[in-house]
Amino acid sequence: MSVPLGIRQATRSIALLAALICAPASSHKGEPFVEPDFVPPAPGTYTLHRIMPAPEGRVLGVDGRPQLLSRYTRDKITLLGFIYTTCTDPEGCPLAYRVFGALKDAIESTSSLRDNLQFVTLSFDPARDSPDMMRRYAGSHVVEKAGGLRWYFLTTRSVRELLPLVEGFGQDVRISYDRSGARPRRELSHVLKVFLIDRMGDVREIYTSTFLYPRLVLNDIETLLMEENISQDQTPQK
Amino acid sequence: MGHKTILRAFAVLAVICLGFTTAVRADETCNSPYISKLIKGQEDYVYVWTLGVDGLGDGFDKLVTVDVNPKSKRYGKVVHSVSTGTQAEAHHMGFTDDRRHIWAGGLSDNRIWVFDIATNPAKPKLVRTIDDLGDKSGYLGPHTYYALPGRMLVQALSNTTDEGGETGMVLYNNNGKYLASYAMPKEEGGDGYGYDLAVNPKKNVLLTSSFTGSVNYMRPIGDLIKDGEAMKKFGNTMVLWDLKAMKVNQVLAVPGAPLEIRWSLNPQDNWAITATALTSKLWLVKQDAKGEWAAKEVGTIGDPSKIPLPVDISITRDGKGLWVNTFMDGKTRYFDLTDPEAPKQTYEKATGKQVNMISQSWDGKRVYITSSLLANWDKGGDDNEQFLRGFAWNGKELVQKFEVDFTKEQLGRAHHMKLGSKALRSTARGG
Repeated sequence: MSVPLGIRQATRSIALLAALICAPASSHKGEPFVEPDFVPPAPGTYTLHRIMPAPEGRVLGVDGRPQLLSRYTRDKITLLGFIYTTCTDPEGCPLAYRVFGALKDAIESTSSLRDNLQFVTLSFDPARDSPDMMRRYAGSHVVEKAGGLRWYFLTTRSVRELLPLVEGFGQDVRISYDRSGARPRRELSHVLKVFLIDRMGDVREIYTSTFLYPRLVLNDIETLLMEENISQDQTPQK
Repeated sequence: MGHKTILRAFAVLAVICLGFTTAVRADETCNSPYISKLIKGQEDYVYVWTLGVDGLGDGFDKLVTVDVNPKSKRYGKVVHSVSTGTQAEAHHMGFTDDRRHIWAGGLSDNRIWVFDIATNPAKPKLVRTIDDLGDKSGYLGPHTYYALPGRMLVQALSNTTDEGGETGMVLYNNNGKYLASYAMPKEEGGDGYGYDLAVNPKKNVLLTSSFTGSVNYMRPIGDLIKDGEAMKKFGNTMVLWDLKAMKVNQVLAVPGAPLEIRWSLNPQDNWAITATALTSKLWLVKQDAKGEWAAKEVGTIGDPSKIPLPVDISITRDGKGLWVNTFMDGKTRYFDLTDPEAPKQTYEKATGKQVNMISQSWDGKRVYITSSLLANWDKGGDDNEQFLRGFAWNGKELVQKFEVDFTKEQLGRAHHMKLGSKALRSTARGG
């Protein structure tokens, strides 16, 4: 017996809202989030286009083992963001980390969401961000056992292996040198982008700092889940 | 659990979410807020999208690079041009969000030319031609190229069926793959026409304006203005869209062909301004305290009875000032926008026998002006000056610093401009 689509959608809507509300505000490192300054469209009332396929490339997990990125961007809905661990721009990596953290709290409290989602944080500074460094950066967010949201902290072996990934995602990174001190200090500048990827590996939304609200991301996740349900319901029963 | 539960949930969420804001990232005052790599200092180049003219050079549309750094030995000189190999009424262009490419198009065509400006910012290279806009959408004459994250939203002016003014927007990804198209509304007061588009991400608002179709803009202007029926076929609306959903929220009556749209870049502001070509008025689109949007006529440009034809506007980065170019009288005017509900003209100068586009540097100290409106609307004889002129602005006076004569240089009709920098040369990315 299957639950009618409308009921499933309504149930999920309420679960998503409840999940976000029940997430303790204090668990978000830094200030709490405000609502967007507009009423977002309801989940399922808009289309998330298949913007592009997520690129493929070799990455390293916190255990140092090489894998293909697609191992972490397929079969579940994936939220992926680039960071570098020494980033201090408040509208850059720290913002992404906080948003991911807020979403993690919300999603983990709902098993139907937790089982359908995974997070990926990928460094674009392989020279400094070794697997060990990424493990330290991840702290308690690295989930080794079942039961928690899978949040993968990845880096690459070299710039050569990183390039196809940043190019493929369109994640712009520039290198500059701060020469104000005794020794030149290398800095990476970038515009924050977070990518929502569906189970098939297609990028469906790209968030910049102006649109990176936990509520909007959850709406988009729900929209993808509703799309999957519609697709399943339209599949002929055997 | 039902409606009340959801309402309560929203209320609780509103209480726990306090004090966090995200700023709108802006570019050199007229670009999409999603574009990275703002040029805050001295720009090195002005790229000029130029209409080809038979018998002038190769006669093709081309992207021309002019060196505009006063410290350069080639200051005020053409350093490069790259032709498209065709004439297509070259008009406007726009950066991709990563500022690695310029998309440029023509109004008599459906093709979009993509130039790489990152590999060598002095020498843009034509790397792709997108040619499926007409087949995929049915629209004609791509005009505005507006960067969204990973995508480009293109506003067309016309359609392939009757080449009239009913048109729409087309969404591509940055690799030129067609994603979707959106018709301009014809219901709830909409006229189906399009011209410019601009986004206020903070409000999730996309604002569009309206002009006319190919049958009008490709027609000699002398004939057009004598045709009363044709002159009725100009846009009289602006449309507020839900950007996320790409759905129409509200149609605003703005008579007289509202053209370029500029949102105030001041993070505290929630208004945009436009100029109407046929009625020579400034209109403000603003959200009131209750959250309702409205359009209001707030100023007059020159003497509307003489049809000065305002064709381009450029807003200062603080939203306190607006440059307006009027084609027919060749004047550049400055309006004080301290009170956007009551703009005051504080300066004017004849900057050419015909002037069209106007762009300013981020600091407002440099102003660039070109001459061409449309091939069949430009003036004739000695009045048909074709140029890029660079001016210094000290807050009181525009002082011309250089001129590139596009006829003498065998280039064509100078139209849209974008700024470039050597510092934006692409290097190996990543750490």
